[in-house]
Amino acid sequence: MKRIIVTVVSVILMAVTLSGCMSGCAGGSASDEISVFYYTYSDTYISGVRSAMDKIFKENGVKHNSYDANSNQSTQTEQIDIALSKGASMLVVNIVDTGSNDAAQNIVNKARERNVPVIFFNRSVDESVISSYEKCVFVGTDYEMAGHMQGEMVGNYLLANYDAVDLNKDGKISYVIFKGQEGNMEAIARTQYGVEDANKVLTANGKPKMQFYDPQNRNGYLVDQDGNWSSASATNYMSTILAQYSESNNNMVELVMANNDEMALGAVSALQAAGYNKQGGKTIPVFGVDATDAARTAIKDGRMTGTIKQDGEGMAKVIYTLTSNFKEGKPTMEGVDEETVVGNWRVNIPYSAYTGQE
Amino acid sequence: MGETIKPNNRRFKGLSGKDRLRAVYDLLINNAMYIIIVAAIIFIAIRVPAFLSLSSIINIISLTAARLPIALGIGGAIVLSGTDISAGRAVGLTACIAASLLQSTGYANKLFPNLGVVPLPFVILAVIAVGAVIGLVNGFFVAKFKLHPFIVTLSTQLILFGAVLMYLMIGNNNGQTLSGLDPVYTEFVRGTLFTVGGVAVPKYVLYSLIITVLMWVIWNKTTFGKNMFAVGSNEEAANVSGVNVFRTIILVFMLAGIMYGITGFIEGGRIASCSANTGVNYESDAIAACVIGGVSFVGGTGKISGIVTGVFLLQIIFVGLNFLSVSANMLYIIKGLIILTACAIDMRKYLARR
Amino acid sequence: MEDEILLRMQDIDKVFPGVRALDSVSLEVKSGTVHALMGENGAGKSTLMKCLFGVYKKDGGKVFLKGKEVNFKNSKEALLHGVAMVHQELNQALKRSVMDNMWLGRFPKVARFLPFTSERKMYKATKEIFDQIGLNIDPKTVMSKLPVSQRQMVEIAKAVSYDAKVIVFDEPTSSLNDREVEHLFKIIEMLKAAGCGIIYISHKMEEILRISDDITVMRDGKHIATKPAKDLTMNEIIKLMVGRELSNRYPPKNHKKGEVLLEVEGLSGQYNRLEEATFNVCRGEIVGVAGLDGSGRTELLETLFGVAQKRDGRIVLDGKTIKNRNPREAIKNGFAFVTEERRATGIFGILDIRENTVITGIKKHLIGPFVSDKKCKKSTDWAINAMKIKTPGQHTKIRSLSGGNQQKVILGRWLIMHPTVLLLDEPTRGIDVGAKYEIYQLIQSIAEQGRSVIMVSSEMPELLGVCDRILVMSGGRLAGEVVSEDTTQEEIMTLATKYV
Repeated sequence: MKRIIVTVVSVILMAVTLSGCMSGCAGGSASDEISVFYYTYSDTYISGVRSAMDKIFKENGVKHNSYDANSNQSTQTEQIDIALSKGASMLVVNIVDTGSNDAAQNIVNKARERNVPVIFFNRSVDESVISSYEKCVFVGTDYEMAGHMQGEMVGNYLLANYDAVDLNKDGKISYVIFKGQEGNMEAIARTQYGVEDANKVLTANGKPKMQFYDPQNRNGYLVDQDGNWSSASATNYMSTILAQYSESNNNMVELVMANNDEMALGAVSALQAAGYNKQGGKTIPVFGVDATDAARTAIKDGRMTGTIKQDGEGMAKVIYTLTSNFKEGKPTMEGVDEETVVGNWRVNIPYSAYTGQE
Repeated sequence: MGETIKPNNRRFKGLSGKDRLRAVYDLLINNAMYIIIVAAIIFIAIRVPAFLSLSSIINIISLTAARLPIALGIGGAIVLSGTDISAGRAVGLTACIAASLLQSTGYANKLFPNLGVVPLPFVILAVIAVGAVIGLVNGFFVAKFKLHPFIVTLSTQLILFGAVLMYLMIGNNNGQTLSGLDPVYTEFVRGTLFTVGGVAVPKYVLYSLIITVLMWVIWNKTTFGKNMFAVGSNEEAANVSGVNVFRTIILVFMLAGIMYGITGFIEGGRIASCSANTGVNYESDAIAACVIGGVSFVGGTGKISGIVTGVFLLQIIFVGLNFLSVSANMLYIIKGLIILTACAIDMRKYLARR
Repeated sequence: MEDEILLRMQDIDKVFPGVRALDSVSLEVKSGTVHALMGENGAGKSTLMKCLFGVYKKDGGKVFLKGKEVNFKNSKEALLHGVAMVHQELNQALKRSVMDNMWLGRFPKVARFLPFTSERKMYKATKEIFDQIGLNIDPKTVMSKLPVSQRQMVEIAKAVSYDAKVIVFDEPTSSLNDREVEHLFKIIEMLKAAGCGIIYISHKMEEILRISDDITVMRDGKHIATKPAKDLTMNEIIKLMVGRELSNRYPPKNHKKGEVLLEVEGLSGQYNRLEEATFNVCRGEIVGVAGLDGSGRTELLETLFGVAQKRDGRIVLDGKTIKNRNPREAIKNGFAFVTEERRATGIFGILDIRENTVITGIKKHLIGPFVSDKKCKKSTDWAINAMKIKTPGQHTKIRSLSGGNQQKVILGRWLIMHPTVLLLDEPTRGIDVGAKYEIYQLIQSIAEQGRSVIMVSSEMPELLGVCDRILVMSGGRLAGEVVSEDTTQEEIMTLATKYV
């Protein structure tokens, strides 16, 4: 028994040492390091930001440590407590809970007690929280922008290809939109503005509004029941939709919008199983958000139509600039593109539409 | 004793009115699951006739087929009066492994850029092996240290999640979704098996069918299967009767792991984009399906047909409520109620009559 | 006071679907007496008691307690009215302490309106009751650490603590040894003297005749007779119970002893108290193992069979040294083991009779790699016929059979394996008289076929009636060996207390 315990303990120790080195903390005490908190490692886009961030910190020889909250705000808050008590010099936080201000305010208060700067990024935090502490900024995308841009992109695409998209020639576009999660600000905005803005473009040009494929669904969207923004949920929904709505029934879904690329690709998979979106066949336009590598390849191949690019590397770069500004006592926004700065509290990394051209 | 004579297998004739009523009631209770399914189908079909269209039926069958292997695997763990909550993550890992080995050579962001397209049989063997190893670890800790499977799989579930995250960081992938799968793979999984009235039936329906038959044979016709039920029913008695309890437990979990591997392989090709999110929470549906189908947490009971029925019912609920345009919020509630009712009815059979 | 009728059950009916379990049964219990309730398993004794305690809803008849009609909805309500039951199967929270179990559901509070329970009060009250009935157990002991016999005593103490006027004992001595039985009888005498009415359910004739004042016999859900105990003999009772005369309680011994088959030398257990057991068993011989509870009888069989780990010792079968490291190996060597606790380690309750029959010999029922239903059915048919198992069919769940029939299924399970050495641990516990006789016959016929049987029992007359030789264990060691024909219960008892 003793031997087993010894083995187990040594394995654990080894794992701890190994993982410590892997995240770039070349020994020494944990103080004076930058602590980065991600809402979850399993988000593809966030993973992109993370590797860009790891790279830029490493290149510049900055000590940093990463944490995974696994979509749980209390986990994240505890992680922040630990990092602060270890003597972290700066917090870079991708907050989990975007539904209320409490969690973010709580973190800001803790940081202020120790005079540690906080940089929130990606997931939105309210202005009132950011401006309550002078050493606090937010780097994000204007989260509403993704929805607006997707809507605009969809609207323009429809105008250009209206007759080809309108399969049943009833003059109206029948669409479906996949929402990533209930109660998430970004998902709500993307779902709402995506549809609204597309309709705006259409009506301004004398076309009727798009119609949700199922007029009885009062929500006007389908949501991943596990709240994971997952491709599997979109596949299952889409194949169920295709079982009821088809060209032969004259009620085919003519347009697919998704809050992120994973769900877009999930829908593509179901469409392909039904014979669409393959080379040489009919293509139902599918739009996503994030411009992940997979989505970009799919767009190039013609399986998907468009996505909204969130510039992960750009975000990492700005965060790095901000951290060195804080460290060296320079003005917070020095070296950041002025056009992207909002007030003195926020930097908006611009989105861009991606339809196949770099 | 007199009170234990079961009222089953008796004819209604020749019984007094009260007894006949009770016999009818028992018949209803014992077949409640099927009655609920038929009632649900009739109800939905009246509201939305398209629910019974050919394409809809094939869709339900396909969805059932995709979720069946994982449920069949978990079923074994539940027969041992255990459970397995590492199943979803195991599916995720094996799906990612399958996808990474089968990305098309031209794809820019390949996880293994220098790897050609690995032959399918090799990949299938690989995911089966990975699944089996996961099961071996689960089973070993359950059998050797007598830990409750819940604790063991709670732990392995975390380990697997970490493994998926690390796996997705290999090379230049940076945690990105695995996509750009070789057409040979996607064709093998979701390609057309045959068409009925113009509606394509995907190939994985066939694979699921084969696996179901295989599992039925294993459960009902092999020494291992009989031993599994014996261990689930009374571990100590099984030991005294000469059953190798240790080996049986490990084999049950390994078989479950293999099922997760196969689910991962099918899911990878079906969804065609795998990330760290793939497979999450699959176990909760699978466990629910097993329990709905009469695989009791009491241990020692369960039928393959029950599991198929359970998975089928869950998919009918999912598809049916979509056809009825019920909002997602309501969907959660209805699903919860159905699982609760099913389990209550199931337990009713085991409660002593008073 | 002496003749006051405490409890009267009048014309109780209970109908289950298809079965009339009780047919207008009446029972009267007078204060200060022990009223024995007898009948074969399935005669309706338990059903009658369950109707009294509200476990079952009776379909007809009335119950009067001290002349007032009562209708208990559950055993808790019955308890509060002073009607208690000491169960055959103990329902106790094994991981909790003795006093927790005593006061479960009515924990004494620190003060009336405070929600805190008082350990101190609980301890004191428990101690008082234990002293009153002469029980020497620390109330803080964890239940599972006590032997079954003491757990039962706790159950009795609990009934006393409710100040029960009517106490039902359901097979109270089935897990007690002779000394503990004496203790129990003392407690019963005390309760009698205090004016309690006792209903005593048991299969053991000697006990019944010794302690009861009145005897009621039931058969097939009907009341057969109620007579003062002093007017009845054992044979008369048996005749009333089975409806026919059982001339002899044990079948004649026809088996012939052959040469030595099994030699055991210095067998000791690694984690149990078995020390240095040395003995041998011949072909066609039935060897009994006697001893007090905890003397290592069960451990001897478990160690021999490989269920318990062996530390030392040699087992020689037919001239060959064997190891029996685990049950599988023992089975391969031709051993079979019918365990003591049928429910815990014998039956697969939720499975049917066929599954229960073939589980050990599943390999004998294969065609290629697959289990053959046909072969299984054949074996089970054989078992049902050979063991005279009373069952509606092969697919009946085993737990719905009576104890005797369950035991026969387990015996059948082992006989399919054609064992050369059959180990039986309390093979007739909780089985009614008729079925017991059948089991004895089975044991005899096994010996007649030249196989060896080692049989543990706490019922001495049974050992004397069935076995050729008896090994007596005491404190984990073999205290001696006697030949059944020329020994007495007293001699065995003396040996059994040798190392205590």
